[in-house]
Amino acid sequence: MTTQNYLKTITKSKKPFVIYKSDKGFDLYTDFSKKVILTNKNIHNFINTISKKKTKNKNTDLFIGFFGYEILNNLIGIKLSKQKSLKFPKGIFYKPETKVNLNNDLTYENENLNISKNSFKININKKSYNKIFNDFKKKIKSGETYQIKICTKYRNKSKIDPIDFFCRLSKTNLAPEAFLIKDKNFSIISCSPENLITKRGQFVSTKPIAGTLKKTKKLSKIKALNFFNKNIKETKEHNMIVDMERSDLSKICEPGSVKIIKKKIVEEYKDLYHYVSLISGKLKLNISTLDIIRAMMPGGSVIGCPKINTLKLLNAQEKESRNIYTGSFGYIKFSGDMRFNVIIRAILNFKNYSEISVASGVLIDSNAKHEFNENYIKAKALIELYK
Amino acid sequence: MIYIIDHKDSFTHNVVHQFSNFNTVECDNFDEINQKKLNKAEVIVFSPGPGSPKDYPVSSKLYHRFKGKKKIIGICLGFQQILYCEKAKIVELNKIYHGFQSEVKVTNANSLFKKDQKFKVGRYHSLKIKEPFYKKNFEITMRCAISNVAMAIENNKDKIYGFQFHPESFLTENGNLLIKKILSA
Repeated sequence: MTTQNYLKTITKSKKPFVIYKSDKGFDLYTDFSKKVILTNKNIHNFINTISKKKTKNKNTDLFIGFFGYEILNNLIGIKLSKQKSLKFPKGIFYKPETKVNLNNDLTYENENLNISKNSFKININKKSYNKIFNDFKKKIKSGETYQIKICTKYRNKSKIDPIDFFCRLSKTNLAPEAFLIKDKNFSIISCSPENLITKRGQFVSTKPIAGTLKKTKKLSKIKALNFFNKNIKETKEHNMIVDMERSDLSKICEPGSVKIIKKKIVEEYKDLYHYVSLISGKLKLNISTLDIIRAMMPGGSVIGCPKINTLKLLNAQEKESRNIYTGSFGYIKFSGDMRFNVIIRAILNFKNYSEISVASGVLIDSNAKHEFNENYIKAKALIELYK
Repeated sequence: MIYIIDHKDSFTHNVVHQFSNFNTVECDNFDEINQKKLNKAEVIVFSPGPGSPKDYPVSSKLYHRFKGKKKIIGICLGFQQILYCEKAKIVELNKIYHGFQSEVKVTNANSLFKKDQKFKVGRYHSLKIKEPFYKKNFEITMRCAISNVAMAIENNKDKIYGFQFHPESFLTENGNLLIKKILSA
């Protein structure tokens, strides 16, 4: 069956399914035999037992799903105080029985006319953003954090067709960590560009993004690289993330094995350029899946640095739950191999509300106005889907 | 064995890997210190970390307990921790360096390192020691080549060493060599 027909069929069937970007196209997983809703009680057991399951040598010997931001904090011993929340699950994983390969050309005719949309509202206005920004700058001056990411949220009331959204998004923005979850009562549509964990056998790597530049007609990729290399603020932000990710990997890798494979390269996306590095290492013996997750999550590049204290500062400031934002989506195979991204550039549609969260960094020499606008650039590709 | 006291920093495990080049290393959070490991260690390392030395009374106690008895090494916050225990004042920098590569210079002829040697290092600090700082047996041996801020101390009598910059950072040239030299001193 062609990709187009398959998408039509599965939509009609109303079955939940997941799509995840692969090297050649997309992988679609469906026919879920199990759905695990994560809680602080079951998460340890859930993660620990996956890689102990007997493989049937099938390409569906895996659990695929996501960890939300809160449960990843809890997993490393950080509690969040009560926040405004949608009561959205802290994490969900599915056991698929069917995997289908789709090509990159996702086309889908939207026949579902039951769609409504309203304009987006932002949860932090410029004035409160400025205040948070200046408070965090003081914390940087006193050394309590070196870099911290302020999260803002766009929300609207809307009924959407997630497959239509995902197909249109992948046309304009073919991101290497894009995914879609379509379940009965919610959907997540993401064009995440950022890989947090790729683990194959004894090797593990991470590919942090730090540094964003708005694309213009005059700005080529080479010019963007030049800009990043010469811009002290972007360079410092990136350096910090590289050292932090090296350290996170060093917790679980053999001494001497952690290497920077790609140092400060530029990747191109629809509206922007990103400044990216690739770091990898060889796992120590007896490192469990849970050890890897706890060492790497939540991904440092979307939190700030140092991770523990910065998370505490963020959590004290943020009044609304981040839900999926800066959590991780991906899969754990029965063999113990895994792949996870950082959930950014994502729409969560739940109870007929869509929310899009974005964050940008406060460093000692960053500028509130610039960062506030950078937030909008990051959300733009997603907000345009509603037009 | 080298015992690294982690002030819950996101760079500590780079320090662990760097020191692992030379000896076995153990590492625990400052609030989960293991007395057995502590007694067994020949070298104690105070890691980088957020905040300022006054936030870590446990580390200050350890310093006073083992000063002169074991080799003590401090990195970034750890460097400030040592000096704070030696009655130096720790103050905010006017110009803050986070993720910044800058040049330091060996400024003292009594240093383990060659005087006037310059090299590039990675820096992550908001605070510095207030100068002048004088303390018997302690010498400031490296300084920022531009701002002159103190970047390393040596006390070769009690075997106490500290770096304000990060020898373990990928931004630091020859970081391993620096550590090798103070470990064999």
